[in-house]
Order: sequence, then C-alpha cells, then structure tokens
Amino acid sequence: MLMWIKIISDVLIACGAFFALVGVLGILRMPDTFCRMQASTCVSTLGVLGVALGGLLHAIFVMNSASTAVKIAVICLLILVTNPVGSHAIAKGAYKAGIRPETPMETDDLGRDSE
Amino acid sequence: MRKTKAPAVIATFVVCFLFWLLLTWSVKPQELIAGAVVSLAAALFSARFFIHEKAFWFANPAKLFTGLFYWVCVFPCELIKANLHMAKVVLGGCKVKPGIVKIPSSLESDYGRAALANSITLTPGTITMEIVEEEGKPWYYVHWIEAESDGEEAGEAIKGRMEKWIRRFWEK
Repeated sequence: MLMWIKIISDVLIACGAFFALVGVLGILRMPDTFCRMQASTCVSTLGVLGVALGGLLHAIFVMNSASTAVKIAVICLLILVTNPVGSHAIAKGAYKAGIRPETPMETDDLGRDSE
Repeated sequence: MRKTKAPAVIATFVVCFLFWLLLTWSVKPQELIAGAVVSLAAALFSARFFIHEKAFWFANPAKLFTGLFYWVCVFPCELIKANLHMAKVVLGGCKVKPGIVKIPSSLESDYGRAALANSITLTPGTITMEIVEEEGKPWYYVHWIEAESDGEEAGEAIKGRMEKWIRRFWEK
C-alpha cells in the first residue's frame, strides 16, 4: 500500500516537472511577449500543482505530518489565487506600455476598441 | 469609501481565523486567543475591501458543494486539457495564431466575474486583459493563442463549461 502511494506521488512530481519543462521551452520558443506569458502559465498551474500534490501525498502517508500537508495545501491555494492576478496585471501593463508582436495580431479587439 | 458592516466583519473574521488554525495547527488556548485577537483586528481593517456584497452567500451546503465540485473536478479537468494542448503546441511546434478577442458573458456579481476572469487566466493559452461593462453585461478582452473565431463562438471555445458552474456557485 505504502509503496503504491510512493509511486503515485513520484509520478505526480514527474508530471509536474514535465509541465514545468514544457512551460520553460514555451517561454524560449514562443514568438512574442504575450505568447510567452501564455506558456509560462503551464509552469505555475500544472507544474506547481503536480509537484505540490505529490508532496501532499508524501506528507500525509509517508511523513505522517498534518502540519506539512496543510502548509502545502495553503501554498496551492495562494498560488491559485495570486497567479492570475499577476498575469492579468503584467499582460495589461505590457499592452498599455505599447508592446506589440513583430507580426501584427490578426484580431486585436482591444486595440480596435480603444482607438 | 465603503462603510464597514458587521456581517462582513464576521465573515472576514471566520476566514482569517480558519487560516490561523490551519497555519498554527494547534488548539492550545493561548494560540486560539492570540489568533482570535489578530483575526478580529485584521477583519476590522480589511472587511470593506474583502466583502462587497452579501457576506454569507456561501452558508448554503448545496452551494458550497457546487463550489467544491467546480474547484476539484470541473476546473482541473479544463486545466489538464489546456495544459496538454499547450504541450502539444510547444513540443510539436504547431503554428500559433495569437490575437485579442472580445467575448461576452452574462455573469452579474463581482465575485462571479472575478472568478471567471481568474479561471480564464489560469488556463494556459488564454489571458484576460480587460473587462468592460456595456449595456449591463461584462465583456472580456482575452488574449488567445488560437484566435480563430470572434464574439459568441470564441466565448464558447474559451469559457467552455466554466461559466455555467461559476454561475451556479456565485449566483442564484
């Protein structure tokens, strides 16, 4: 039983690491600021959540430590609440500062409406 | 400036105190008393920023269950789908077609709108950039890496099942 829980938690951590890798590759490969931010969302959602869930299982069943488990849960909650606010502010700030992709976006409703 | 109302203070106090209990993870009387004092002070100062409408909208088991179901089942499902799609785009080198689309919504409360905006931003591939209100309806400007459609159609593709569940939890 314990072995299976260890395996599941390892698999979750590996999934988290994989999506973090995808996010970083995305940041390097995407063409412009906004698309890079999109890729970076991969890191802060499934990347962090996968690792945190694996850690949560480990804390509950292997370490038997409730306080560690609760702290991990609170970390997940705080990331889920604060991360979108940050991305939203950065994206809007970048757009307002006049940053545009090299090849113009095909649909730009925000630019059309704010003229 | 908004006035601080008693129900809002109580609801904020409950949230702060729950966080205190979770973080300290002990039930010694001195911890409880210190926590109560600190959370009451925090609630008095921050209740008017924290709660804008009804303070006890969540005190309804059916609603609470709906919210839990959304955050545990519906939203992670959408999140995993979007993450896999993003992985395909990044690793497979598909062409992206970025654009900012304007999508309509029919949510009425501030909480619901904020929750939908945050859910959209948390999903890889879409970022909410601005919310405007026209004719009493909120419109979201969303940066999308696959901007192929516009208006209602784009809204369906971006919001998916999320809007329906958010309406069930935060409204009526």
